[in-house]
Amino acid sequence: MTAISIDRVSRSYGTVRAVDDVSLEVEHGEFFTLLGPSGCGKTTLLRMIAGFADLTAGQIRFGNKRIDTLPPHRRNTAMVFQNYAIFPNLTVGGNVAYGLRARGVAEEEMKVRIARALRLVHLDGYGARWPHQLSGGQLQRVAIARCLVIEPEVLLLDEPLSNLDAKLRVEMRAEIRQLQQQLKITAIYVTHDQEEALAMSDRVAVMRAGKLEQVARAQDIYRAPATPFVAEFMGTTNLLTGTIAGRDGEALRIRVGQREFRAIGNARDGESVSFSLRPETIRLLDTGEAPPPGWSVVEADLGAVEFLGAISRIELDIGDGAMLRVAGLDLLPDQLKARGRIAAAYDPRRVTVFRE
Amino acid sequence: MIAISRRDSFPLAIAILAFAFLGLFLLYPLLNVFGASFLDRTGKVLTLANYVRILSSSFYLGSLGNSLILGILSTLLTIAIGVPLAFCLARLPIPGKSALLALASLPLVLPSFVAAYALVLLLGRAGIVTRLLRDIGVPFSSIYGVTGMTIVFAMTLFPFAVFPTLAAFKAVDVSVEEAGQNLGASRWRTFRTVTLPIVMPAVLAGGLLVFIEVIESFGVPFVLAEDKPVLAVEAYKLFVGETGNPASAGVLGVLLIVCTAIALLIQRHYLGRRRFSTATRRPPPELVVKPWLRRLACAYSWGVVLISLVPFFAIIVISLMEFRGPVMQSSPSLNNFRDLFGQSWRPLINTLSLSTAAAVTAAVIGVPIGFAITRFRSRVSDLLDVLAMTPFAVAGTVLAIGLIISFNSGGLVLTGGWLILVLAWVVRKIPFNVRASAAILYQIDPSLEEASINLGVSPPMTFVRLTVPLMMGGVIGGMVLTWVTVASELSSTVVLYSGPWATMTVVMFQALEGTGAGIASAAATVLIVFTVLPVALVYRLLRRHELGMM
Repeated sequence: MTAISIDRVSRSYGTVRAVDDVSLEVEHGEFFTLLGPSGCGKTTLLRMIAGFADLTAGQIRFGNKRIDTLPPHRRNTAMVFQNYAIFPNLTVGGNVAYGLRARGVAEEEMKVRIARALRLVHLDGYGARWPHQLSGGQLQRVAIARCLVIEPEVLLLDEPLSNLDAKLRVEMRAEIRQLQQQLKITAIYVTHDQEEALAMSDRVAVMRAGKLEQVARAQDIYRAPATPFVAEFMGTTNLLTGTIAGRDGEALRIRVGQREFRAIGNARDGESVSFSLRPETIRLLDTGEAPPPGWSVVEADLGAVEFLGAISRIELDIGDGAMLRVAGLDLLPDQLKARGRIAAAYDPRRVTVFRE
Repeated sequence: MIAISRRDSFPLAIAILAFAFLGLFLLYPLLNVFGASFLDRTGKVLTLANYVRILSSSFYLGSLGNSLILGILSTLLTIAIGVPLAFCLARLPIPGKSALLALASLPLVLPSFVAAYALVLLLGRAGIVTRLLRDIGVPFSSIYGVTGMTIVFAMTLFPFAVFPTLAAFKAVDVSVEEAGQNLGASRWRTFRTVTLPIVMPAVLAGGLLVFIEVIESFGVPFVLAEDKPVLAVEAYKLFVGETGNPASAGVLGVLLIVCTAIALLIQRHYLGRRRFSTATRRPPPELVVKPWLRRLACAYSWGVVLISLVPFFAIIVISLMEFRGPVMQSSPSLNNFRDLFGQSWRPLINTLSLSTAAAVTAAVIGVPIGFAITRFRSRVSDLLDVLAMTPFAVAGTVLAIGLIISFNSGGLVLTGGWLILVLAWVVRKIPFNVRASAAILYQIDPSLEEASINLGVSPPMTFVRLTVPLMMGGVIGGMVLTWVTVASELSSTVVLYSGPWATMTVVMFQALEGTGAGIASAAATVLIVFTVLPVALVYRLLRRHELGMM
């Protein structure tokens, strides 16, 4: 069942189109993430749903009800702000009660619901505290409790983790995801952090310059990026360009300088294409080791090696100034340097080809 | 024995000098006022008789009541006018906003008793407008008393409420308001339940400034009170009347201090339980509102500011008219100025030179204190902070009475000279100078000073060579504001001046007591010119540091 329909929505600031003809459907109970670099329009789109940014064109519906014409306070969305936006003049309890008061909920029921919401975010007994007595993580929980307590149609989250330190960020993202699953609430999450997006979301929409680049399940968006932009934005990748030099069985032969790569895909002979090959899918072969069946091999000289402990980031020189990045698990720089010339094996099925 | 590190010796030296100065010229005089109020006629026996006498007199109880009623009414009216104005200026598109802000800060520096006097000339018993109304048959009762004074205070003191509130409205994090609406509260409900409570401490800070200004005001009630006695004026009259025995005046002085202290405590108590700062990255954007609302906001903002300036324009025009005795004629003339300066140029020269001396001295004392209390947090600097803010709660009349009791005889005699005027003004302006320089210092990274000391320059030399030049813009701005407010100071001047050392405000005051309306308005015009000119010249500086106090 469709919870939110965003239908050909646009928003311009002067000549800049912050959101440019975007259409989306979000399902009930789905955790949907808007991902993109800063200025891509993701926050504007979220604020359009909340009612803080006007639409220049298009419609937004919750179910069958059109909501983009309603004032923000009539939309029954609940938003977690980047800086939490906790009311400094109210206690924790007062903050959580705020939306209930605005809805005229009776005092007794309100008390029950506030207590339940605070328990949900592990802040039982904090009701009488003042915001300035809380830590960043606790403020974040208040912001979430304040939203959940009004049982909104959709929970909107605007980079809620960006003000927390790294460790807390990882904890909170698991907690938010768990709450969302437990309450089966529809959530739209805005972030520029691809790891966060992959870890939390059912589906991800990658945005760029006000437009949607790709909308897909988290794992698909990583494995099968639709555009070079998505491939590069989601993690690190080797984005190479070359020309089709014919076929070898079902595989395309792509010439890149002096080297040839194989890929499964469609393209005409002589066509110039770009393709993405993830560093972690490449395996460095030991001297004399045969590649796994169906895999291709590229010969290269060892370039820079960055040792990070569990993994090492390795650069391979494949000629003509082109570099191939490889992520190797459990490797020591000394082992590699002893080898000299290196054979790198990859599965052609893991190469994504982008036609111009 | 506690060893004092070299790092601390510089601020400690500042603190010792500051304690010595304020101890001698603030605490000692205040102590003497207290003492006088508890001593009998012989000056030797402790007694509560003075309090019993004053507090059982319906006249003086009435003056206490009048002062309080006037303070509360004026504060409420000022807030009622100032908060909407601050909101309009902070959040709505008002054409000519920067000009409006400049004009709105003028009543802060223009002498309020001039406005009161203008109101008398326009709407008083023989006022121009009163007569006009009477001629066309509109009945008009007088504007004397509480109504008139409240109007004058609201007109002249509204900037005290506007500027802190304006800054607070601009500091509200928009996302807090958005959160309110997002959770289902309408715009108005969000304003009422979120925005207004957040700016409330600033409103109260402004309100407190207004209340204290009203309570201690001497000039306005002197001009407008008529049969309504107020504490500040009655203390003066008693002191002048009972020479040599300041017991009753002392009681009224103590009552004045108690009033302001209670107001201060109420405000501190309220603020103590609240900490409302929201982290803002950028000021909130101007609201998009319906055209009629925008026009209303524009008319309101410009209306309030322009009306507040009417008395000053009026007094300038009046001063350029012919007077016969107290009656204004309809022909323009420069006779008033001729009469004013025909008496003597001395008052003008006194005002210019003594104000300059006071402004420079207040900066020389205030800036190091500001430095000591911002850069070196300790119990000593906290105490210094409290002491440096004390003059703020002491009415000019009371300080002046204290200074006279203290330095009338004995080892240090100051009465009858010019120095006592300058000292009184300096003490009164120290809170402003300390606050203003502290505000600038908070914006200067302490690591700059550490770098200088690290490079081998001693702390005092670092202060002189690095910190003071960095603060210079603000310090000069503060000095000009001090100069301007001191030049129109009346409440302590009127007690302290003697013969040759009368200032322009005293000339006005004397002319008001007599029938010299022409001379009074000419003196007022001269005062206006000498306050507006320097302020206009350093307007850029002023805008950055206005109301650094509180």
